[in-house]
Amino acid sequence: MEVFSLIGNGFLIALTPLNIGLLLLGCFVGTLLGALPGLGPVNGVAVLIPLTFAFGFDPTSSLILLCAVYFGCMYGGRISSILLNIPGDEPAIMTTLDGYPMAVQGQAANALAISGVASFVGATIAVIGLSLFAPVLARAAIHFGPADYFALYILAFATIGGIAGVDPRKTLLSAAIGLMMATVGIDPISGVPRYTMDSFHLYDGIQPIIALVGLFAISEILLLLEKTAKDRPKAIKVDRWLPQWSAIWPTRWAMLRGSGIGFVAGVLPGAGASLGSFMAYVFEKQKSNKNGTFGKGDPRGVAAPEAGNNSAAGGALIPMLSLGVPGSGTTAVLLAMLISLNVQPGPLLFERQPDLVWGLVASLYLANIALLVLNLPMIGIFTRLMMTPTWALMPVVAAITFVGVYGISNSIFDLKLMVFFGVLGYILRKLDISLVPLVLGLLLGGDMERNLRRAMSISGGDWGILIASPISITLYALTIGFLALSVWLAVRDHKQTKAERLTEG
Amino acid sequence: MTRMSVRLFGAAVFAIAALYTLQSQQYLITFGDVLGPSVFPVIVGIPMMILSASLVVFPTGDVAWPGRDRLWRQAAALAAFVGYTLVMEEVGFPIATAALIALIGFIMGGSPWRALALGAVFGPGLWALFDQVLGLPLDFLGTLFG
Repeated sequence: MEVFSLIGNGFLIALTPLNIGLLLLGCFVGTLLGALPGLGPVNGVAVLIPLTFAFGFDPTSSLILLCAVYFGCMYGGRISSILLNIPGDEPAIMTTLDGYPMAVQGQAANALAISGVASFVGATIAVIGLSLFAPVLARAAIHFGPADYFALYILAFATIGGIAGVDPRKTLLSAAIGLMMATVGIDPISGVPRYTMDSFHLYDGIQPIIALVGLFAISEILLLLEKTAKDRPKAIKVDRWLPQWSAIWPTRWAMLRGSGIGFVAGVLPGAGASLGSFMAYVFEKQKSNKNGTFGKGDPRGVAAPEAGNNSAAGGALIPMLSLGVPGSGTTAVLLAMLISLNVQPGPLLFERQPDLVWGLVASLYLANIALLVLNLPMIGIFTRLMMTPTWALMPVVAAITFVGVYGISNSIFDLKLMVFFGVLGYILRKLDISLVPLVLGLLLGGDMERNLRRAMSISGGDWGILIASPISITLYALTIGFLALSVWLAVRDHKQTKAERLTEG
Repeated sequence: MTRMSVRLFGAAVFAIAALYTLQSQQYLITFGDVLGPSVFPVIVGIPMMILSASLVVFPTGDVAWPGRDRLWRQAAALAAFVGYTLVMEEVGFPIATAALIALIGFIMGGSPWRALALGAVFGPGLWALFDQVLGLPLDFLGTLFG
């Protein structure tokens, strides 16, 4: 099969010394970021992006590093879920339900091992899916014209907020704010400077990287300052690190089911890893909770959500790479990095830069093996590092954020812009407005406008071109259907609980 | 009170969107480009005005703003961030970063001496790591001393 030779070439790229080094570094840092309560995948990747930029890695190496961090976070999040009963990151919330009770009952080693193996199974299945389905989707997307892309972006904005919970108006407003910011700078087609307020700093537009580092990382610090600085509970002692194989084997079907559900949730727009683990847990509970053991330390309740969250994380890469439309917060951040490195994801990526795509895919296979090693025999390191207190951790993270952003172009203006976005991100998060649509708007706005104007140039100013192809009509129909569904859901459960808002993984 | 924040936010966004849409009319259509630079901002601005107006009229969600002591901590952290951007090029990277780390560490609840020690280690430490080891040029002394 063609896929095998492509992946074979990918391994040649992945196995260069630099890429192996970045891969291992990314896996380690990612697991650590995931394990530390308070730093999730979005923040972790956002903090690291400016650094990859400042060091001038090529796009393939940058993407390998950041995807390793992304996958590592998904592995690491469960560690503090199980040992502290505090999710290390948002997708690991479901793992606390059965993981912590297991640890309390002296099964910590088994819980960690089951979740580690489940992470491996889920992530590996997702990477296999990525190798098989992404090229197919990319081939189909080749037939898209400018008007179809415009429709696709509209669909992306309508769906990014997900169907779970939040007021859809807030999501759309967030996307509109992003699109508004995307128009700042010199218009690439006519050369007119727009909304620059006569500041030459803004002539190049607002750099998405700087905006998202502020929106995610700086606002996270401001949010943390709201919480009471209470002592973290002591981690449960783990007496032995070697798991029992007999404890892992019975959870195999839960892992496979969780992986399947998570993968589908990941590929769908607006879902992401949090929803993947949520759905995997709920499904497994319905299927296997015969004796009412779920929530009291059932191993399958650990296996399913972990497999689901890792599988969804991998699945979310598919629409990002093959359509250029990310389905989750972290993939939106990865997209920002690629666009800033002048790589335009989408169907042409597979034709023009097969090295990047297949090098990444091969690296992800390797990353899973590295992460399994890091997360089974070497887990003791992370449980110790995990106890770093917040007051020592966050200031250093903040400083690294400042270095990274300053390093991009040695500009103090960039730092000020980042702080501004930090405050904006804080306010939006307080008002329950998701940041992901804003980032997406800022990222895709330029391209969306270009496609619209290109389509209108082709038609000579006839707006009918926007609904002239079956592809765009289908996409608009999907958009309307999705919006109708989310409005209906929002009206139905007007009083949603916080736990239902699981869209930002 | 809680719904008020959403209303205020909606009103602010409405005003910005209105100005944004109005301003777009200043960007004249140039020859050879059918749509010109002013249409897309209108396409974004008008739905934005509708959405934000609807949030003013029908706000949703409860917003719990932090108490006064927390707000002070946030303001202090913000002041540290802004201060950093103001003095970094003057005093150089290690000193500015040490101060930033110490201040944020203290604001986050570390004891003063420990926060200072953290800053004293990581300020120069990060400079050494990024400038010396990883080759990212960062000013050591700044314009004030250098």
